[in-house]
Amino acid sequence: MTGSANLESSLKANVASIQERTGNSDDLVVRDIGIGTEGAGIDFAILYFEGLTEEKSINQFIIEPLLNFGATRGEHPLTDVHMLMDRLRKSVFAVGQIEAINDLAAALDALMSGGVLVLCDGYAQGLRISMAGGEQRAVTEPTNQSVIRGPKESFTENIRVNSALIRRIIKVPNLVLHNRKLGKETRTNVSIMYIQGIVDPTALSEVGKRLGSIDTDAILESGYIEEFIQDEPYTIFPTVLNTERPDTVAAALLEGRIAILIDGTPHVLLVPALFVQFFQASEDYYQRADISTLLRALRYFGLFIATLVPALYVAITTYHQEMIPTQLLISLAAQREGVPFPAFVEAIIMEATYEILREAGVRMPRAVGQAVSIVGTLVIGQAAVEAGIISASMIIVVSITAISSYIIPVFDMSIAVRITRFLFMGLAAAFGMFGIFVGMCAMLLHLSSLRSFGVPYMAPVGPFVLSDQKDVILRVPHRSMKTRPSLFGKLNPIRTRRKDRDQP
Amino acid sequence: MNRKLFLTIVALASLLPLTGCWDRRELNELAISLALAIDRIDDRYLVTVQVVQPSEVVSQKGGGETTPVTVYQSEGVTLFEAIRKMTTYSPRKIYAAHLRVAVFGEALAREGIGDALDLLSRDYEFRTDFYLLVSKGMTAERTLKVLTPLDKIPASKLFNSIQTSSKAWAPSVTATLDEFLEDIEGEGRNPVLSGIRVAGNASKGDTKDNLNQVRPPARLRNAGLAVFRKDRLVGWMNERESKGYSYITNNVKSTVGHIPCPDGGKAAIEVVHSEAKLKGSVKDGRAKLAVELSVEENLGEVQCRIDLTRSESIRELEREAENTLTEILDKALGVAQNKYKSDIFGFGEAVHRSNPSAWKSMKDDWDNLFADTYVDVQVKVKIKRTGTIGNSYKERKE
Repeated sequence: MTGSANLESSLKANVASIQERTGNSDDLVVRDIGIGTEGAGIDFAILYFEGLTEEKSINQFIIEPLLNFGATRGEHPLTDVHMLMDRLRKSVFAVGQIEAINDLAAALDALMSGGVLVLCDGYAQGLRISMAGGEQRAVTEPTNQSVIRGPKESFTENIRVNSALIRRIIKVPNLVLHNRKLGKETRTNVSIMYIQGIVDPTALSEVGKRLGSIDTDAILESGYIEEFIQDEPYTIFPTVLNTERPDTVAAALLEGRIAILIDGTPHVLLVPALFVQFFQASEDYYQRADISTLLRALRYFGLFIATLVPALYVAITTYHQEMIPTQLLISLAAQREGVPFPAFVEAIIMEATYEILREAGVRMPRAVGQAVSIVGTLVIGQAAVEAGIISASMIIVVSITAISSYIIPVFDMSIAVRITRFLFMGLAAAFGMFGIFVGMCAMLLHLSSLRSFGVPYMAPVGPFVLSDQKDVILRVPHRSMKTRPSLFGKLNPIRTRRKDRDQP
Repeated sequence: MNRKLFLTIVALASLLPLTGCWDRRELNELAISLALAIDRIDDRYLVTVQVVQPSEVVSQKGGGETTPVTVYQSEGVTLFEAIRKMTTYSPRKIYAAHLRVAVFGEALAREGIGDALDLLSRDYEFRTDFYLLVSKGMTAERTLKVLTPLDKIPASKLFNSIQTSSKAWAPSVTATLDEFLEDIEGEGRNPVLSGIRVAGNASKGDTKDNLNQVRPPARLRNAGLAVFRKDRLVGWMNERESKGYSYITNNVKSTVGHIPCPDGGKAAIEVVHSEAKLKGSVKDGRAKLAVELSVEENLGEVQCRIDLTRSESIRELEREAENTLTEILDKALGVAQNKYKSDIFGFGEAVHRSNPSAWKSMKDDWDNLFADTYVDVQVKVKIKRTGTIGNSYKERKE
């Protein structure tokens, strides 16, 4: 790009080169304004992209003051253009962000990111005014991570709205935000947020380094960045947490973690992310500690069901029939009478059917949703059993597995669980329980070898950190949660100080 | 590099179908057998297996078109051959891990069941937790050809009724394969097994007609205890003698018996706790044996005139109960000592424990020594409760 070209002093030349650079796009608005008397007047041009800016405000705070200024100063022709521009910038335009720019590249950048460019004839500088606006989605309730008790705000596609949502929760000057632009073509705004004095400096510099090394043409969503910065690309387990809830981000920042906000997506990345954090819902901290602890235990139980139940069913019914109580064995055998497939094929058919239904449910147009779900219920539920192709017990196994995988609060983890389920089913079909246990060992080894920004993925379980057990399966009451997680909040460990309570 | 990795993965993945699956059996490839009967015909074994028809047992819609179980039979010089030979009649391989009971014919039992037990304990598919039974006065196969009401599978009917009655009725005794083997391998104790017979019209038991009558013509019945000397059946004990056996071997969890009242009439008592101590010692080269039994009872039914509000009358009843129990124990001991000459109670173990060196010289001839030794019986009874009323209503009217 030849972006280093400076602006010229001819207004016409500047406007022409901007139009040429933007390919004469029709949504580039060029408003000509002349002030002063005939012959001694000065020509201005106001440029902006339609839809990216707030046109009402442009009329009210840029064009109107300019015209008024021209009208009052009409008798005294202003020949010194430099003084004129300085004056305009300082006391005419009623806007917040305004700065003088010299080169064409900056001018274009201002236009592309929703700014307004004011050019003046005979003056080789321009004024860049931030007036980004236009239509955008409002802050709404979270759709993927909903709660019963707790804030009902979620992030939007606008990065500044998102950072503001976080700043509204944490009102300390230590909350730091640094901007950078990523993607050669998209020039996407990416912000790193953290709390100075709590954040782990080594993780912070690691995040900066990894973001800096991204060299790609486009960042369209947080997933792009997640894949570029994760520690281990070849794993099915997520090592970066994403959330659409400002309160979750605030809580993570307070634990000493780092948030990465990306313009254009309501998903904010949090690092470092540990295995246990994928089983913590924000509501755990808003409900009473006892029920939160029970729900945590239920989630880990759900993890085992979702990963292992189809595999166990296949292994036990095809290799280890002696493990089943006699009555149950007879009733399972009765259900399998006449079923033409081996249990493993049966399980694969049903799991695949379910995955197809699930994927169709996400992608299909809303209007046909009901039709698909009716057909799906009939196919999965009844027809397959009545036709004698699938045994009824297999339907139960697939259903409980499907439901259990959604008890995990973070969707990325339930995706990982779905993949492991198929691996375990294959092992169970070939080796029975032996295969399942070998697979479990392999999975555990793999999980223990993962790291997220230098922090062991399975911490605080392995390596075991006693003081961090307060928030793994247990969620102790906030009064007892005295310190931050020791792995990334060690700079400022104290959360809660015990004060003597007044006895009633 | 990538190509190498890819080939490695392919090689590893192909291991799965190559090595795995060799002992895979789908549920509908199994003939789930719940009962096994072994008889001796000349020098061959006759093996009968009761196989469940799952769809008849778990009938989702109607069902009941055929019998819930079917029976396969075959003969062979060894049991293993006979069972394998069944695949020529049965569409599925016999699966024995869920076996509930194994029945031995009386004729085979009198010859000795040790050889037959070898397969049951050697084959990996057999567990050791099924009950062993002996069919009294008939071949074992006949006991497997009786359909039972309530519990559709005759084998599980047998299993459950033995289990339930052993908890609530003293004469019933259970013995699983491992317990039986422990008794015949160990020293100083001979095993017993529960007996079973088909009561009523046995030939009608194997059709569905048997289930279509309120009182089935053919019924499976407990037939007392089969007394063994090592692995050989030597005789039977009746109900009263079996009761004595259960008391002495601490097999009574709860039971009901009756005692005579001091002034005529009868009273039924329920045993809630019973503890027997076997004592064996050696004095002057002779074994000294004793049983101390202490029993806690509740009064369950009073059919006589007695003032239960007086503690003396309770004491009188206790004394009657002690006498009755002593009689029962003496009877059981007498039968085992004099009639069968078999130490089924484990007195030998008690002697062994108290005097191992003397036991060494005794053990070879223990059954005869036991038969000649006097056993001292001490019984203590405590009546704890009299139920929800005090005196019988007849008593109160006057």
